[in-house]
Amino acid sequence: MLVQADRAPAEPILAVRGITKRFPGVLALDHVDLAVEAGDVHAILGQNGAGKTTLMNILFGLVQPDEGALSLRGQRVHFRSPHDAIAQGIGMVHQTRRLVAAHTVLENIVLGHPRVRGLLNLRSARVEVEQLCRRYGFTVDLGARVWQLSEGERQWVEILKALYGGATILILDEPTSVLTPPEVRTLLAGLQALVRDQGVTVLLVTHKLPIVMAASHRVTVLRAGRVVARLRTAEATEELLVQHMIGRDVAFSTMERSAEVGRPLLQVEDLSAFNDRGLLALRGISFSLREGEVLGVAGVTGNGQEELVQVLAGLRPATSGTVRVDGRDVTHLPPLQRWRMGIGYIPAERFEVASIAAFSLVENTTLNYHFDPAYTPRGLLDELGLAQLTRRILSIFNVQAPHHQTRAQHLSGGNLQKLILGRVLLRRPRLLIAHLPTQGLDVEATAFVRAKLLDARAEGAAVVLISEDLDEILSLADWVAPIYEGRFVAVLPRRQADAEIVGAMMAGLPQREAGTG
Amino acid sequence: MWDLLARSLGASTIFLFAALGELVNQRAGVLNVGLEGLMLFGGTAAFITAQTTGSLALGFLAGLLIGGLLGLAHGLFSITLRGDQVVSGMGLWILSFGLTTYLGNAYTGPLGLARIPSVLGLSPFFLLGFVLVAMTWFLLFRTSLGLAIRSAGENPAAAEASGISVLAIRYLCVTFGGVLAGLSGASYTLSYNPVWNYNFLMGWGFVSLALVFFSMWNPWILMAGASLFGIMWQLSLSPELVLPGVLSRYIWRTVPFAITIPILVIISTPWFRTRWGLAKPEALGRPYTRG
Amino acid sequence: MRVGRYSLALDPRPAVSPIYAVLTAVVAILLALALSSFLFLSADANLFGAYRTVFAYAFFTPRGILATLQRAIYLLFCTYAFLVPLRAGLWNIGLPGQVFAGALAAFAVPSLLRAQETAALPLAAAVIVLLMVVAAAAAGGLLGGLAGLLRARLQVNEILVTMMLNSILFWLVSYMIKEGGPFMGATAEGEGFTLPSPLTAPLFRGVPYTAALALGAAILLDLLFAKTALGYRIRAFGENPAAARYGGISPVALPLLVFLLGGAFAGLAGYHAFTAIPGVYKIPGNYGFYGDLSFYGLISALIARGSALGAVPIAVLFAGLSLGARFAQGALRLPFGVDYALLGLLMMTFVASHVFYQFRITWRRVPAEALQPVSTETGGR
Repeated sequence: MLVQADRAPAEPILAVRGITKRFPGVLALDHVDLAVEAGDVHAILGQNGAGKTTLMNILFGLVQPDEGALSLRGQRVHFRSPHDAIAQGIGMVHQTRRLVAAHTVLENIVLGHPRVRGLLNLRSARVEVEQLCRRYGFTVDLGARVWQLSEGERQWVEILKALYGGATILILDEPTSVLTPPEVRTLLAGLQALVRDQGVTVLLVTHKLPIVMAASHRVTVLRAGRVVARLRTAEATEELLVQHMIGRDVAFSTMERSAEVGRPLLQVEDLSAFNDRGLLALRGISFSLREGEVLGVAGVTGNGQEELVQVLAGLRPATSGTVRVDGRDVTHLPPLQRWRMGIGYIPAERFEVASIAAFSLVENTTLNYHFDPAYTPRGLLDELGLAQLTRRILSIFNVQAPHHQTRAQHLSGGNLQKLILGRVLLRRPRLLIAHLPTQGLDVEATAFVRAKLLDARAEGAAVVLISEDLDEILSLADWVAPIYEGRFVAVLPRRQADAEIVGAMMAGLPQREAGTG
Repeated sequence: MWDLLARSLGASTIFLFAALGELVNQRAGVLNVGLEGLMLFGGTAAFITAQTTGSLALGFLAGLLIGGLLGLAHGLFSITLRGDQVVSGMGLWILSFGLTTYLGNAYTGPLGLARIPSVLGLSPFFLLGFVLVAMTWFLLFRTSLGLAIRSAGENPAAAEASGISVLAIRYLCVTFGGVLAGLSGASYTLSYNPVWNYNFLMGWGFVSLALVFFSMWNPWILMAGASLFGIMWQLSLSPELVLPGVLSRYIWRTVPFAITIPILVIISTPWFRTRWGLAKPEALGRPYTRG
Repeated sequence: MRVGRYSLALDPRPAVSPIYAVLTAVVAILLALALSSFLFLSADANLFGAYRTVFAYAFFTPRGILATLQRAIYLLFCTYAFLVPLRAGLWNIGLPGQVFAGALAAFAVPSLLRAQETAALPLAAAVIVLLMVVAAAAAGGLLGGLAGLLRARLQVNEILVTMMLNSILFWLVSYMIKEGGPFMGATAEGEGFTLPSPLTAPLFRGVPYTAALALGAAILLDLLFAKTALGYRIRAFGENPAAARYGGISPVALPLLVFLLGGAFAGLAGYHAFTAIPGVYKIPGNYGFYGDLSFYGLISALIARGSALGAVPIAVLFAGLSLGARFAQGALRLPFGVDYALLGLLMMTFVASHVFYQFRITWRRVPAEALQPVSTETGGR
């Protein structure tokens, strides 16, 4: 809980009135009002899809509102582009990195800066930036290429860039989603220092309650594009905020799990693989899994999870090691053969990889069935059968869609994920690989997906679950494997895995130290 | 022999101008596969203008103008309308190919104007090419505009979030690329081979496009590559200077194109890619939407 | 963009009905025809008379109709050659090269069998003709397959490779038929040898059997894409290669396959152009024209938006237009290249129509904005 400095009510430094924004088919923001006090850490809380990022994009000039007005320090302002916002002292650090990976840290910081016009004088800029680093207490190698940095370091580079640009109002959009727990602590401490010592105002956009409770002075809650609450954090509780976020009480229940474990199904030995940049991303992963067990791989994105699922699915070659399913060596088997033998894969990118936007729902279902003789007699598509199958998926998995011939692009993220899940699960896979299955989904869809994963487990499937949400892993997994820099730090049975220990392992702290936490 | 070299350098400037322009707009993230079309149209416009007005200068101007306009059109389709850059490029090529055949037909034949004098035995265009390459290198790597251009091609979202108008940058670069393509075509029809014939480029534009990939988007390597190709080209036109009597002259004509393919293959292998492939602008060919 | 109190925006169109697709196609063609009126400005007749000459010759005279049909068959094969890779999201602009390869292969058969004279056929004519067809398709397919393989395994840009191959094949044909090349004709005037009449394509009422092949292929292709698993895989790959790979579709086999198929069709086009059109029956000195003509096939496939049967009327129309334009050129003393100009205009209007196909223009009223200071003491629910 932050200590509140007593301040008399004053003109808010940033005020927003009646902001409305429509995208094709959806009302993203509905007459939103917001007032931010100078020197506050002001949290914008809401679920995924509530409109937080859209609102911030409007504040930063990336998106134009359809209605409404902004005022900064009492003056009416209009941002036609981020250029205008930056000129007025607003800086934004986005959810996904906005850095040019191929360029150096210094080049990224000075990009677009008004003081660096005409000839690129990096030497004088370097001196200034180093001064800035000292003032704010950052250490980062200015000559390093951004792709060489960790996620946490990249985020600091973006913050530094905003400050170098003269930002007095800093917008951070979901800054903690790709950070390890220690990195989160460093960030929050740094933000507090910025606010306390330098008078910076911070807008912190997040869906995570602990962050709001620990780091903010005030909180505005958004739900479905509308402001539903404005509170001082000191007067709020987690339960109250949750109620505002989703509109009604939701019980935080732990999932019911029965234990019927079968014979060994998956054996991975010393698996190694390169990532797209030619660096070793997996370094000797070993584990085994039985039927009816869930392995939860916990870690921050970028530690090899993506490469691990791709190798297990056959979409990336392994450089060494073996993968055995039911005794059979599948290490070099192409994806098609793996789907045929009962492996199911739910990719993290549901729009880019797991589905085809312009295809109908039936055609999307076909993506997992076009090789199945039951649905392709003599090479021809069994259109009736596939349509029937799709309708079954829509009903069993509660997918909200007008018609089975609707195009996938018209489905919301949550419904699309349910379709993908259903499509894969109806094949009754013996090994299920789920990569970030609940990312970006609202509370109901998340609960649904988790329940279905447990159903698969109950039916004897072995499940490899990759998630960034530690709570999700702890509530679903039988085994917890924190992954760090391409290695499993440990493979812990559930009862030995608590949040502190696993969180420390995810950050790469050695097991001995973590044990004393 | 010296004559062959001089002609080769003349040929290489044709490649160089077009490829240099394309390099700049590719650095900003815009792919223009219709380069040959812009060269054709620029060259035809230049030829017609020069012959009707009797002025080479006006001819060049016309070529530059047409090239710039077509580049702008490509920009309109790919940047503002966010259309498929390959469709637009192909469209411009076929459009130019078709229209120039019709428009230039009446002017088939030699230009009939005084040739552009050579400077120190070299074509003045070679010197111009050198200057342009140096200027481009300086612009891209020593100015903030260059940093902005390169960022727009690597990660337009990052550039936009830094206050740079990716739209403006890309329009600028694609028009520049068009102007240079027009220059390339004009120097072909007004200087290198001042005789108009339908489809006079016969595939040069696509070789220039390949050269941009070979150069790994570096202006100096591009110049080296263009020079090499110029020599090879000239050789294929007059093989009897080096290897008399060996192979039909038609087979020689295929050599520059045939060499391009294995080079394309080599630079596409994983071995080459992991070492030098990171030079490709990450966002090349992808339409960008703000926000 | 703002116009007064309204704003103009370009929104992606959510779904396109087939009727709209046909509508945009028709508008594109009509627009191109309208624009081509400037080509006829210098004509001997008035504008209406010029258009009438074009259409009348192509579609209403016996000679013209036959010629139109012949050319339509050629264009259809070219259309399929471009269409199949297009459905997979790939660009096969190697049509001219593959046509030439097909032609060379077709003529290589009688050349190798020393069957250039009618009297000395070593095998039954029907067998030789069959060999010629197969050779043409195989040669075109192999050439296309090369580009497809390089694209599939190494992601080499297929546009570059096919353009290089176009130029290589072009000069190769010159080598073969000119200045003492192996296929040089008896007259040594820079054209290939004439095919003995038993080896020319059999005609039925003046129409070669390749017409049946072309129409049959249209039906089979549309069935392939709509009803078969393979067609599904091609379409999925064309829409989203990453998703297709996830679905188990081979990122190597599929591009290779579509280019093999596309190239084969272009090879057949080459077979048809030089062995099936009465009065030709050899590789002529102006063979390059047929290479240029193949781009009409490209545009037909684009305008038909990937539908093979839809491309049939379009190809017939373009065949007639290009023939009629060439005829009108002579009859009305127009400059050379009217058919080329029309090609260019069609491409331009297609690209423009593509914008309207993908986007929708919306008008929106810009409401007045209100500004009142927002109080910070509005706490609570």
